[in-house]
Amino acid sequence: MARQGSVPLAWRNLVSNKSRLLRSAGGIGFAVLLMLMQLGFEQAFFESAFAVIRGLDGDILLQSVHKYQFATRDPFPRADLDKARNVPGVASARALYADWFNFFWKSPVDGKIFLVRAFGFDPEAPVFSYADVNADRDKLKEPNTVLVDRRARRFLGMDSAATEAELNGAKVKIVGGFALGPDFQSDGTAIMSDRTFASLLRGPAGNPSAVDIGVIKVSEGNDRAAVQQSLRKALPDTIAVFTKPELIEFERKFQAAVSSAGPIFAMGTIVGFVVGMLISYQVTYTDLADQLPQYATLKAMGYRTGYLLRVVFEQAAFNALAGWVPALLLSLLLYYVIGRLALLPLHMTAHVMLVSLGLTLGMCLISAAIAVRRVITADPAEVF
Amino acid sequence: MKVPLAWRILTYDKRRTALALIGIFMAILLVFVELGFFYAVPRGGLLLYDNMKFDLLLASSEYEYQAQPGAFPLGRLDSVRSSPDVQQATPIYFGFAKWKSGEGGMWPDVFLIGFDPASHVFIPDSINRQTGVLERADMVLVDSATRPMFGPLDAGRVVEIGDRKVTIGGQYVLGTGFMGLGVVLASTANFARLFPQRGLNIVNLAAIQLKPGADPDPAAENLRKAVGPDLQVFTRKALEAHETAYWTTRTSVGIIFGSGLLISFVVGIMIVYQIVSTQVGRQLPQFATLKAIGYPDRSLAGTVSAMSLLIVVAGFVPALGAALGLYSVIRQETLLPVAMSEMRLLAVFAAAVAMALISALLSVGGLRRAAPADVF
Repeated sequence: MARQGSVPLAWRNLVSNKSRLLRSAGGIGFAVLLMLMQLGFEQAFFESAFAVIRGLDGDILLQSVHKYQFATRDPFPRADLDKARNVPGVASARALYADWFNFFWKSPVDGKIFLVRAFGFDPEAPVFSYADVNADRDKLKEPNTVLVDRRARRFLGMDSAATEAELNGAKVKIVGGFALGPDFQSDGTAIMSDRTFASLLRGPAGNPSAVDIGVIKVSEGNDRAAVQQSLRKALPDTIAVFTKPELIEFERKFQAAVSSAGPIFAMGTIVGFVVGMLISYQVTYTDLADQLPQYATLKAMGYRTGYLLRVVFEQAAFNALAGWVPALLLSLLLYYVIGRLALLPLHMTAHVMLVSLGLTLGMCLISAAIAVRRVITADPAEVF
Repeated sequence: MKVPLAWRILTYDKRRTALALIGIFMAILLVFVELGFFYAVPRGGLLLYDNMKFDLLLASSEYEYQAQPGAFPLGRLDSVRSSPDVQQATPIYFGFAKWKSGEGGMWPDVFLIGFDPASHVFIPDSINRQTGVLERADMVLVDSATRPMFGPLDAGRVVEIGDRKVTIGGQYVLGTGFMGLGVVLASTANFARLFPQRGLNIVNLAAIQLKPGADPDPAAENLRKAVGPDLQVFTRKALEAHETAYWTTRTSVGIIFGSGLLISFVVGIMIVYQIVSTQVGRQLPQFATLKAIGYPDRSLAGTVSAMSLLIVVAGFVPALGAALGLYSVIRQETLLPVAMSEMRLLAVFAAAVAMALISALLSVGGLRRAAPADVF
């Protein structure tokens, strides 16, 4: 009985025919690439919806209890924010003014008018963690000055060198920029002081004394959950008190419930998986058929079926990796290019990597399990 | 001999061919699905217009797309109505308000459309049957596709929209498209009650119906001259082109489904290539024999192409059937108006044939190795 595992048989099988390896890696790789793109788009869809919440510089966020999604105006009285400030453990309670439906931007490039998202805050009490915004916040103290999103959709002309534009018919001075990017609802964003925000807001939505989001920082040494509890007690039940992860989770649930993004991209991923399974079945089956005499010989020499099975599965796993690695590299390039073109936050995350690797190994091993029945029945006497 | 030989090779190993068929079936299905989404998104944006009767649409020069239509004074319609081509010009009002009767105390935004029910400007029978309901004070109709978060949509339920209590008079079937999560139809009088500060003097759109026999293109040209540069006049065709361009070029839709389309195309090539080149490899001695008895390379390449084409055509038919089934599932699940058109069917077929030829081209390389001397 030979010592098992002394020869890396699976590896040798894999590299014995380079052109076949290239072909199988190409086939499996493109199926994996398909899954990676779909997983990436789904991730980008949700991430773009959370981008602003993530950019808020606070531990706890207050909003109206009626507010069902982040991107809608539903202000609450300023007095409630003042109450929150007096709760023990609260270091600061600052106001974010936000609007998605009432700010119309006139492009400095072609003079066309577009709806944009607008945020306002007191320049003395910053609420964003964006370094660019905080560096320029003093400039916002001058009336009718704005910071614009340099990653906004290009037709807004926010990435131009223009120093002036119009918001709601009023001339505004562009005093700086930041890089946020659009989401699936808004094409671009302007950030301004609370005063400018109130003076530019037109229509019945204008109410400068009302706040959209209260941005709370917990003072050092205080337990976040305890402060959250005290805030709930101190505030009327018209105010919802979320930690930042809770608000992101709330938004995730809303997006998952109303948008088709989940099922659309899940379907693409499933198709990629099935196609990948078929390709890797084809690869394993052909390989086994070609090597059947060799397997039968090993069997005749006394190698156990378990050893032969291990070789087949190892080889399937190698095939999976040979497809996954180049697909991953190619997807990094595609994420970058498509992310730039579509202004989507298309980033490779550990989650997408692990899910795609799991799916790839899954499809290759399942198809190997189906194909391997041939080896188990390999009868040395029949082969020769 | 090409096709019969290709057929025999394919039917010799049925199991392998079945596998190829499933693979190519999936790839073509995916092409159909990505293409369906790509076209469904602008179609969703056009949903309201597709359900309205008009020959020309009048809008502000600030009109961007349906959800950002701009506005103009009602009085501007006088000059339109006096045009000899125009039969009827119906003002359409759009507004957003908080629906304060949502599930779990939520206040979702609702999209409101105000119009004169007597104008019969909407096509769905479910709207025209209920004009009497719309005429009643503080009674509205709700789109049946309004999301569950708005709570029950039963007739008789009193809900608060903005600062006003209104009664749901019934539902109509049109679809919410990209107008919002919920859509409400109201008579102009009820619309004005819901938006007291706005009144009825600011209009978002006007649906223009021409007199019988009037040609829309010259009529639109005449109207453009009459209304001046701050208003624009769309023919239906121009409107469709405008909205489609908005959704495919201004949003991420084009690139997301476009890249999906491209990758599924390549995956399709990979599958066919995988299958055909394996077959070529396995039949190499036979191909070499054919060569040795005098068949030229060209003829063998023809056989390989015929194999690819047979696989792809055989995969295309069930993929088309499955795509039609899947489209109807997607329509129900996502409310996107995914649909098949002859053009798209032909385009996908052409893409499938291209897949077959490209993978044949890739596999033929292996055939050149079929040197009779090497094989034996």
